[in-house]
Amino acid sequence: MSAGDRKEERVSFDYHEPTTLREAIDLGARFGGDARFLAGGTDLMVQIHRGRLSPRHVVSLQRVPGLDAIEVDGTVTLGTRVTHRRVETTAGFQGALRALVEGAEVVGGHQVRNVATVGGNIVNASPAADVVVVLLALDTTLTCLGPSGERTQGLDSFATAPGVTALRPGELLTRVSFPRLASRSATAFLKAGRRRAMEISIVCVAARLTLDADVERCRDVRIALGAVAPIAMRARAAERYLESRPLTDETVREAGRIAAAECRPIGDVRASARYRALLVGTLVPRALNRCLERIRNPAS
Amino acid sequence: MTRIPLSLIINGQTFDVLAEPHRTLLDVLRTDLGLIGTKENCLEAECGVCTVLLEGAAVNACILLAAQCQGRAIVTIEGLAAPGQLHPLQQAFIDHGAVQCGYCIPGMILAAKAYLDENSEPDENGVREALAGNLCRCTGYQRIVEAVLSVARTVRASPEAASHRTAR
Amino acid sequence: MTPATRIVGRSVPRMDAPGKVTGTALYAADFALPGMLYGRVLRSHEPHARLVGIDTSRAARLPGVRAVITAADVPDVRYGGSVKDERVFARDRVRFAGQPLAAVAATSPGAAAAALAAIEVFCEPLPPVIDVAAALSPGAPLVHEAWASYTALPILHRDGNVCNRARIVVGDVERGFVEADRVFENRFTTSSVHQGYTEPRAAVAQWDSSGLVTVWSNTQLPFEIQTTLAEILQVPPSKVRVIVPGIGGGFGGKLRIGMEHFAALLAMKTGRPVKVMTTSEEELTAAYPRQPAIVEVKTGVTNDGRLTAREARLWFDTGAFAGSGPGVASVATLMLAGPYRIPNLLLEGFAVYTNKTNFGSFRAPSGPQANFAVESQMDIIADALGLDPLELRLKNIVREGEEGPTGQILTAVGLEECLRRAADAIGWRDRRPEVGRGKGMACGWWTTTGGSSGVYIKVNPDGTIALNTGAAEIGTAALTGAAQVLAEDLGVQLADINVVSADTLSTPFDFGAQGSRTAFAVGNACRAAVADLKRQILALASKHLGVDEHVLALREGSVVGEGKRATLAELARISQASGGGLIAHGTFVAPPTPYDAKRVEGHVYPAFHSPSFHAHAADLSVDAETGEITIHRYVVAQDVGFAVNPAAIEGQIEGGVAQGLGQALSEEIVYENGRVLNANLTDYKMPTAPDVPRVESILVQHPTLVGPFGAKGVGEPPNIEPPATIANAVASATGVRITSLPITAEKVALALSARTT
Repeated sequence: MSAGDRKEERVSFDYHEPTTLREAIDLGARFGGDARFLAGGTDLMVQIHRGRLSPRHVVSLQRVPGLDAIEVDGTVTLGTRVTHRRVETTAGFQGALRALVEGAEVVGGHQVRNVATVGGNIVNASPAADVVVVLLALDTTLTCLGPSGERTQGLDSFATAPGVTALRPGELLTRVSFPRLASRSATAFLKAGRRRAMEISIVCVAARLTLDADVERCRDVRIALGAVAPIAMRARAAERYLESRPLTDETVREAGRIAAAECRPIGDVRASARYRALLVGTLVPRALNRCLERIRNPAS
Repeated sequence: MTRIPLSLIINGQTFDVLAEPHRTLLDVLRTDLGLIGTKENCLEAECGVCTVLLEGAAVNACILLAAQCQGRAIVTIEGLAAPGQLHPLQQAFIDHGAVQCGYCIPGMILAAKAYLDENSEPDENGVREALAGNLCRCTGYQRIVEAVLSVARTVRASPEAASHRTAR
Repeated sequence: MTPATRIVGRSVPRMDAPGKVTGTALYAADFALPGMLYGRVLRSHEPHARLVGIDTSRAARLPGVRAVITAADVPDVRYGGSVKDERVFARDRVRFAGQPLAAVAATSPGAAAAALAAIEVFCEPLPPVIDVAAALSPGAPLVHEAWASYTALPILHRDGNVCNRARIVVGDVERGFVEADRVFENRFTTSSVHQGYTEPRAAVAQWDSSGLVTVWSNTQLPFEIQTTLAEILQVPPSKVRVIVPGIGGGFGGKLRIGMEHFAALLAMKTGRPVKVMTTSEEELTAAYPRQPAIVEVKTGVTNDGRLTAREARLWFDTGAFAGSGPGVASVATLMLAGPYRIPNLLLEGFAVYTNKTNFGSFRAPSGPQANFAVESQMDIIADALGLDPLELRLKNIVREGEEGPTGQILTAVGLEECLRRAADAIGWRDRRPEVGRGKGMACGWWTTTGGSSGVYIKVNPDGTIALNTGAAEIGTAALTGAAQVLAEDLGVQLADINVVSADTLSTPFDFGAQGSRTAFAVGNACRAAVADLKRQILALASKHLGVDEHVLALREGSVVGEGKRATLAELARISQASGGGLIAHGTFVAPPTPYDAKRVEGHVYPAFHSPSFHAHAADLSVDAETGEITIHRYVVAQDVGFAVNPAAIEGQIEGGVAQGLGQALSEEIVYENGRVLNANLTDYKMPTAPDVPRVESILVQHPTLVGPFGAKGVGEPPNIEPPATIANAVASATGVRITSLPITAEKVALALSARTT
């Protein structure tokens, strides 16, 4: 019997800095599974340090133009290299899209947010990823570019298991977009952790609520949950329950109970499954209530 | 492993080094360039002792490849003030008793500087939040926060006071 | 009323701050030598195994690898402070996951890491003894089969997996329980927590041609390391020199040998200097974190709140080696008594072997664990009797001149003042201001560890002073405090003093930066040295000025008398030219504290010297659904004897409370079957800036006879009371009593939810 988990401890790779998207794709195609794209590095570099990944080639995207734009024109489009810090500080996201800021600003500390990218976060496919959970509640679509061209896919089908996505060999996620919110809409994001910062969520919840024109009845809702299933998930049963129902203390609590029942948390070193379910039951109503307050008073 | 030539701009000076592509900025700073003011600990972006400024933004040098940093202005603690002088933040940390073992301090000061550069009206919550990525085990953060807030006040009260004071 | 002082008692900025804020201060982790190799340690993945063989041949052939060593390459020595049960590398038995098996030295860190991965280890796993319960169950495997043959301190009570049982017996507890109206029995558990210093343990070693090895390391105890290394290397201590360039935090985790022996052995093998540094993973799996504890407390009390008896046991999981365990188990018994008048006591502290890391000393060892238990129970008692927890404490705390648990006479007892002022500051009268919000308190006592310290003081020809001390500055500003004492006594300015420290070859012996003793002991050593120096100065001045000594006085850097004057600088120059210089030696060792030896057994630490007293209070709210705790205010009242440097002391309190809140709320090294599950800083949750509340410090001063200007040790105490304070405040806020640490939101939420269903 031998010592160790056979970690590849000798870190060594070639570094490439393509200056066009085409070049980046070609490098990805050339090196295939031996290569990793480097955006912010906050996941990739840590995984390399822990011996979980040992790529032979690292392809940095930092000189590839056109990957870090934020476009708001009805639809919102974020380039894959947009950092959490930029999401956090984009004035246009302070209104109905507030959850984006709330999700971005709780990730790591400033040092991490200054370099960690939205695209990297999505491709890393942690079920606890805060911004991913928000994007899930916004019906986000992803655009990927590969050797065989460009394609789109819904975020909600992109991650298939922790750390596993539908990204094809040589493909690069280039941008994400989500539709403009209808009027009488608001978003909210809540996170639970063992400390107030530098936390990987024990549970996080993002909600997008749209009310009918004149009454406080749910016209449309999205509830996304993080860290309570192998992938970030939509609480679809809770959403279906709420549709066309008035927003009251009882209905939001019931939505919470349904969401708690439909999530599939595990117990791990961060929290037990039971506590995670309890948190879903608490944070979903709170997120919905916050959306409600924000629709009532958009200045809040 | 072949080493590649890198041209790094640190504290306004250009350093030409030969390093393997997988070397981090932290490692090159400390080992190749002898700039040991930037500290090493977790090497996983969890503790912040390796904080430097990259184009003015606070970042963890331990997860940045040196190769990624070519041509991008880097500031380390050594570059905060001219030799023999102290930046107002450094003086404030001394005056407010914000230093104990001191190992977290270079990273802490740079993170604070990045925050103050972007916030002309800092408050306690904002300062604490800005320093969330810098662990300190000795001070409980209280005097660090006070030191940072005092610099903002000083700068607001009299811009001339923001000029560098002579180090003891 | 003490006379006005010039420098002591002032919050002067610490002397080493400028180097630290500019990044020019050098730490052991920064230290490097030309031609240096990089060392790494191969550690076991099995918590318990028969070690069959290690094949290092492939590793040794890798590029850049200059040495690979195992047990076969080092002297067959067992070492250890209280029980000699430790080896550098495992020999035929592996006793914890993380135990060193081999070490390599290579030309780069990457090459060293690759060498580790290439070493093949052959072992047969054995069922691990995973915790105290397992270790004490009948038929449990012995962690050390040959325990009885080990050399150990004669005073220890050892038996199988118990490497010490320390005991205090006073009066007759059975009678005491009969006298009581109510008897309370409660059980508490605590987790292991890591000191969390931000600088990894590091050592650089280099041998010279005379067979002397110099080791630069961030040890808190250079002289102890010198002795241990000499033992391990089988050389005379005079052939080992330990130097501390600088330490980035210690908190007790850098007391015992860390990387020094690996560095020295690899340097010996390669003939080159070698640097070895820990990784975060090594720190969280194979360092000296705080012992996990199980505490059972049975206390008898009358209906009007008088404590009549206490029987308490505390079991420490001390891990695979005894290490600090026997001593910590001893101190625990004093902490189980607490600063209370309890006429009948049966208190036992056990250090128990398991297949986990060698848990060690962490800021107030045994303090938080024991205090969490007894102070939580005090509130349980108060609640049951319908008494105010403050009044219950005031009724039972020891007073000036009364006895401690082992019969020592207590003086400078500032505890009542601490309790009243903390209670006042937190607004104790309104203990439950609103739903879900409550206030809690806890109090305790602690020691100022003894041991000797020596200093040399010399006057330079320009009148400045060199202070030469064997102590290491770990960040507490203790050496600034000692320098303040020196400056006060000698009549010079702090800026006139330069400190040289922590070199076993050139600085006098110091017992080390442990037990809150440094400012106390080094300060007193300075006083002794200054007394001698003054005699030399006055004698020389008398000769030089032609004036009788008795009319001369040393004032503000000059000797004056009868209208004549000579500066220190002048006198130093004269002395240097004619007689070798003005140099004085001063030593200090705390006088032993008398106690009743009949009351103790197996006890390594039977009395607290110049004890300090402290009270903490917190005002917090609990989110009824998520269990999250928000601390609104946190107050500490600490009897420091005399505040040599108030700001520095407050800094110790603020930092100690932050660290204590980590233990109380979020930190734990999580073990499963002998393996650590969270060996990284992502999942080992130390408080960040947004997590720590402002701490309000009240410095109470009941001066000791022994300390410099009446000072007591201050560094460790702030770590002691936070867990109990939080537990009591949470109980006050919610009615829910959490009896295990850390008090996570999960535990609170699930307890609240269980109560309503």
